[in-house]
Amino acid sequence: MAPPQGQMRPGRQLAVLAGLFVVLYLLVFFTSGASGSFTDRLHPRLGLDLVGGMRMTLVAQGKAPSAKEMEQARQIIEARVNGTGVAEAEVVTESDTNIVVSIPGSNTADLEDVGQPAQMFFRKVLNVTEDYSEALKAATATPSPSTSASANPSATPSTSASASPSASTGGQGGGAAASATPSASASPAASASTSPTASAKPLSQTQVATLDEVKKKVGENAYKAAEALTAPVDLQTDPTAATQFEKFSTLTAQEVAVLPAKIQFNVPQVGCEALSKRPVGSISDKNAQAVACSGTTKEFLDVAKVSGTDIGSAQAVPPNGQTAEWIVSLKFKGDGQDKWTNLTKESVNKTGATCEQAALGDKGNCRVAVVLDNTIISDPQIIEVLTSDSTIQGNFTADTASDLANKLNYGALPVTFVANEAVHVTATLGQAQLRAGLLAAGIGMLLVAIYAFFYYRLLGSVIFLSLILSGLLTFGALVWLGRTMGFTLTLAGIAGFIVSLGVAADSFVIYFERLKDEIREGRTPRSGVQRAWVRARRTIITANTVTVMAAVVLYLFSAGAVKGFAFALGLATVLDLLVVFLFRHPIMAMFARTKAFMSPRVSGLGRVLHQQNEDEDSAAGEPRRYRAKEA
Amino acid sequence: MSKTGLATRLYRGEAGLNIIGKRKVWFGVVGVIVLLALASFFTRGFTAGIEFKGGTEITVPASVGTLSDVQKAVGEEVAKIGPEAKVSTGQRLGGSTPSYKVRTTPMSNEQANQIREALAQKYGISTDDISSSVVSGAWGQQVTQKALTSLAIFLALVTVFLIVRFEWRMAVAALASLAFDLIAAAAVYSLVGFEVSPSTVIGFLTILGFALYDVVVVFDKVQENTRSITGSSTQTYAEAANLAVNQTLMRSINTGLVALLPVGGLLFIGAGLLGAGTLKDLGLVLFIGMGTAVYSSIFFATPVLVTLKELEPRIATHTQRVLARRAAGPAKAAAPGTPAQKATEPEMAGAAAPRPGARPAGRKPAGGKAGGGKGVRPGAPKRR
Repeated sequence: MAPPQGQMRPGRQLAVLAGLFVVLYLLVFFTSGASGSFTDRLHPRLGLDLVGGMRMTLVAQGKAPSAKEMEQARQIIEARVNGTGVAEAEVVTESDTNIVVSIPGSNTADLEDVGQPAQMFFRKVLNVTEDYSEALKAATATPSPSTSASANPSATPSTSASASPSASTGGQGGGAAASATPSASASPAASASTSPTASAKPLSQTQVATLDEVKKKVGENAYKAAEALTAPVDLQTDPTAATQFEKFSTLTAQEVAVLPAKIQFNVPQVGCEALSKRPVGSISDKNAQAVACSGTTKEFLDVAKVSGTDIGSAQAVPPNGQTAEWIVSLKFKGDGQDKWTNLTKESVNKTGATCEQAALGDKGNCRVAVVLDNTIISDPQIIEVLTSDSTIQGNFTADTASDLANKLNYGALPVTFVANEAVHVTATLGQAQLRAGLLAAGIGMLLVAIYAFFYYRLLGSVIFLSLILSGLLTFGALVWLGRTMGFTLTLAGIAGFIVSLGVAADSFVIYFERLKDEIREGRTPRSGVQRAWVRARRTIITANTVTVMAAVVLYLFSAGAVKGFAFALGLATVLDLLVVFLFRHPIMAMFARTKAFMSPRVSGLGRVLHQQNEDEDSAAGEPRRYRAKEA
Repeated sequence: MSKTGLATRLYRGEAGLNIIGKRKVWFGVVGVIVLLALASFFTRGFTAGIEFKGGTEITVPASVGTLSDVQKAVGEEVAKIGPEAKVSTGQRLGGSTPSYKVRTTPMSNEQANQIREALAQKYGISTDDISSSVVSGAWGQQVTQKALTSLAIFLALVTVFLIVRFEWRMAVAALASLAFDLIAAAAVYSLVGFEVSPSTVIGFLTILGFALYDVVVVFDKVQENTRSITGSSTQTYAEAANLAVNQTLMRSINTGLVALLPVGGLLFIGAGLLGAGTLKDLGLVLFIGMGTAVYSSIFFATPVLVTLKELEPRIATHTQRVLARRAAGPAKAAAPGTPAQKATEPEMAGAAAPRPGARPAGRKPAGGKAGGGKGVRPGAPKRR
């Protein structure tokens, strides 16, 4: 009696399904960062619309940037977002033009500027000083001698190599020195003026307004005194400064940004933390001198004579015959090369704005800082006048060298990102939406189950069980994918799952209707189940393929919440196929062996037979053009 | 006792509705709907959500006062920001935590934050209790554009898939029915004035998947019924296709219902509890679209397919042959009417009656080539 399609072995398929379950939930509980209590491990990642938070979609304006540029832009934006002090911010690229910033919880952080184009400049380092602000905060009024390392900040101010000016760029790959051959530098004459020459940067309208506020905040006298400073205050020789400028430590990053560069540099209370959090574009005026930090060293920088857009390309070069370690080679384009040559000439010959003794490199030449946004990413000493391609050397590793090369290449990304969508969802609203979503899913499932029981009687339990199984599989996959792939469940995702209920329900409708046909034709339940399965399988696969195709296309080519919807729909449809193959069919095959299967009261299939004869009689009286009957 | 209701016949897939034969009626219905839709598109247009025009939505808990108060307060704050900015609409949202949603003209995220802070101060609540959503017009455009790209890609893929899986006429018929679904659903939006948001656009795409799914199931059966149709002269293509529609009718209705149920839940919750947003938008468009999809898979896709097929010479000559034979047949053999039908009855019963435990011999070779099975053949032609 066994059909040639092969003897059904329901047990085997069920075992495979059980195996899948065990594997999935083992993954859920024991892999990829599962931690915490039993319930903690079962938490899917919920989207911000369900837990509350803020989401902002930044869209690149103009021509779509390349993938590398996007990644660099993402890093820059991430740095800017983190710079505003928010916690757990997540910055991801989405499609080829969008960058999505998600910040859970509540905050009103001003992220308006994070999409501004990144500015990169090459500025000569005129002076350096250690950042004492932390120490001052720690030791409030009295400056402890131990913290103030120096009357002379330049002479190895701190123990950490990365903070030493000559080695520079903590975190960015160690010290750097330009070019190969050291040239015996001429004219070490520390020329006359000690005070930084060019004046404070031009103040825009809004900045003037706040500058007055800042003056008020720090006190008119203190501000005047700060303005009068010509060099960084040495706390050892002038202990009163700690109290005199105390108010400066209360300034926010925005307020610090409006201070003239000279004051930012000279007042010890202005620390690197505040400086690096200045709003984006605070030091983007290339004709103004500026202050920026490299590690914990405050550097006073000259006007920008070369900008990032002058860079042709930068490349990380692995150790070879000529160099013993990783270096970064740098090419300039067009007149960028001339500007660069002039800047290096100035640095080597000590012309132009004077580099203070403290700011000089170990070869006695000026250093040039590469400033990205508000931070110095590298500040190599210029060893010789560079008329062609240049190299930056330091204690680079493969990673740090390519990191710097990337920054040099794409850091000056002239792309503006505009916040096209910004959504704040309160925690209460998030909870309400989560509840509503789950409720809708619950109602959907219930309605489908009721319908199934009504229509297919006890066979409804098979449907119900498969829905439950699909649900469990989906949930496990959700938790696991959330941890490994970062898939977050959003409201739209819940909607996707709800829609997939319809797809799942449909696949059993197809199957059962086929089965009904087979039974009506007088097949035994056992062979009917097998035959109905073979025929329905084809249809189910075709139909589900279409749904999955729609989901995949949507996922790949859409933006925003749609992605979550498409992913959920696709995932649920695939899992539904799995359940159809590994659960519904074997269970039906087992069920078909029981006597109750054909009972009208039990299965809802028997009804087809019950009235068959009666129908044959009545059919005669009805003129029908076609006889609708399984053929 | 003697009459079986339509429901029962439907249940058994034996409704015997002449759907293909009346296809002029269905084409007429479709034509009217399409004309209505086009008229509405041009005269009424669509109500675009803020995502397309750009704008700001501020949601304040309802506990702070009445809607008009809140609207006024928001209006005052908005006026401080820009003289030309103003409040457009206000709406009360129900649910466990009722709230008011006030829409204004576009502003920056920063400005929205200022308004949130000002409102929070005014009502003595935390800014964390005020939601806001700032959308630029460009965003809606981007979403729509991407949706259109997805649509094009999806349609291309599906066409290829259908041509490979079925044949090009079926692909054309399926696409025609998809186009109708979209137009019909869009017409509802235009006529009723439901707001179109990016979620709606996405919903449209999902409908496509669903509608196609429906059509695929019907066509699968049509294909099965007509696989070797030209080999015999008993049934025209139209009749075989009609049979397929009837056989899958219950499934279509079932599927439609069963898919509409969860979406109905979605719509109910989305509109009833949350008042607005993704759930409602998606639920609504899916609800409407699935409805039209069920209709078109039965009453539009297959009729179009049959019309196309009858243009195919092979099928056309076959149809003529069947009809000619049939015209000659009854005149010679038996007059149409009761006697002939009576005569077939025992045969029918014999073929279809349950024989538990035994496999009906006549069915076996029918296998996948339905329509060619000997057991049924007397049914259709003799009843004509």
